[in-house]
Amino acid sequence: MFDGYIGHILDGAVITLEVAFLSLLVATGLGLLGAALRLSHNRWLSRLSAWYCITIRGIPDLVLMLLFFYGGQILANQALEKLGLGERFAFDQFISGVATLGFIYGAYLSETFRGAILAVPRGQAEAGQAYGMNKYQVFFGIVLPQMIRLALPGYTNNWLVMTKASALVSVIGLQDMMYRAKEAGSATREPFTYLLLAGAVYLAITSVSLLLVKWAEKRYSVGVRLGEVS
Amino acid sequence: MKKLALIGLSALLGLSPAAFAETPKELRVGLEAAYEPFTYKTADGQLTGFDVDIANALCEELQVKCTFVEQDWKGIIPALNAKKYDAIISSMSITEERKKAVDFTEKYYNTPARLVARADAGLDGSPTGLKGKKIGVLKASTHEKYAQKAYAPAGATVVPYESTQQVYLDMVAGRVDATVADSVEVSVGFLKKPEGQGFAFVGGPLQDEAIFGQGAGIAVRKGDTALRDRLNAAIQAIRANGKYQAIQDKYFDFDVYGG
Repeated sequence: MFDGYIGHILDGAVITLEVAFLSLLVATGLGLLGAALRLSHNRWLSRLSAWYCITIRGIPDLVLMLLFFYGGQILANQALEKLGLGERFAFDQFISGVATLGFIYGAYLSETFRGAILAVPRGQAEAGQAYGMNKYQVFFGIVLPQMIRLALPGYTNNWLVMTKASALVSVIGLQDMMYRAKEAGSATREPFTYLLLAGAVYLAITSVSLLLVKWAEKRYSVGVRLGEVS
Repeated sequence: MKKLALIGLSALLGLSPAAFAETPKELRVGLEAAYEPFTYKTADGQLTGFDVDIANALCEELQVKCTFVEQDWKGIIPALNAKKYDAIISSMSITEERKKAVDFTEKYYNTPARLVARADAGLDGSPTGLKGKKIGVLKASTHEKYAQKAYAPAGATVVPYESTQQVYLDMVAGRVDATVADSVEVSVGFLKKPEGQGFAFVGGPLQDEAIFGQGAGIAVRKGDTALRDRLNAAIQAIRANGKYQAIQDKYFDFDVYGG
């Protein structure tokens, strides 16, 4: 079974995991930044973040992936040619893929985080201020630990969707698991064998991450009695 | 600081014409490894197939180094235009639609459509011989069009199917007598398989450019006529010196170049 292509596909699974995990880091950073800007009192920063969420969430992932990688490259080539520099700058597939996925899912996460921050009772932050904590101490010491519990379900959803959406990087030529499953399927003329294999590996990745989330939910629910309103 | 940047810039400007005047030492070839036996990967990840061998032969002819860049089919033209590579050698059919986005060389192969039937059915491929016979074809394909045009007027019944696999199954079951299909597809997908035993090509390649198109060509960026002309010359050269024939014999037992 699998005609020896299994190693080829598992190598792709490593790339899929790398892309998904690094994209999650980028998305988490952008999500926190987006939520903070959205909730800031500066009207322009708040609008900037709102626009980020609206446009990115409103455009299909595939379109953004193609736009950034090919459109971006064509623009860069034209700009460099105008300057007479030739083609000295090639977009890297891995970095482009991670950046695009991170950028897209950052928009979704910023809404998840915004909701979670708003759900932490204001009195908590006010109490921190009353103790003389500054803005950052209040956010990282008081609000963040409490919002993690509230953000986890939405965060998990985004992670699961993003892991599967990472298959999009095959469009820009990155040889992730889906790309390789397609190759193996067409070389052996048994497409479903390899699609099922890829599906099983995706399921394994998501199942393991759900176990981790379960642990995290327990950890961040310390001191919370379930069934109580906030 | 500004002065320094200007000096740097002019140095680069001074260098670039020299770089352009030289003929490139490398040909970057884009392809999608998902079309066995033309372009595919072996289990250890090696690129192989008819297209790959042809590309290598062309590079040898042009005395450049072939660098292969793998690319998903959906992005294969955008990546060419973004200069990720210089030519697409990936069994791309020459169509009017694609000619709007890229320039094509002459075809480097054109696998003909052929008629397939039971070897002992006594058919010779002539339309009159198919009178009263049933011909199974893929629905909405060029092959259906051809069967309608060439065989239906002679009294054959054309039966369209959702997939070529279903056509083959009904050929084995005896519900249809013959099929018109792409020679490579039917050879790999049916004739060489156990269930295809007793079946064979009947008559010669079917020719009708209005229906079957012009075959597969090499795509280059629009306006890259220098590369296109060099590739055209190289295709003619490997046709003439026997390298093409050697590669064809490695994969197929019939003529894939077409008339």
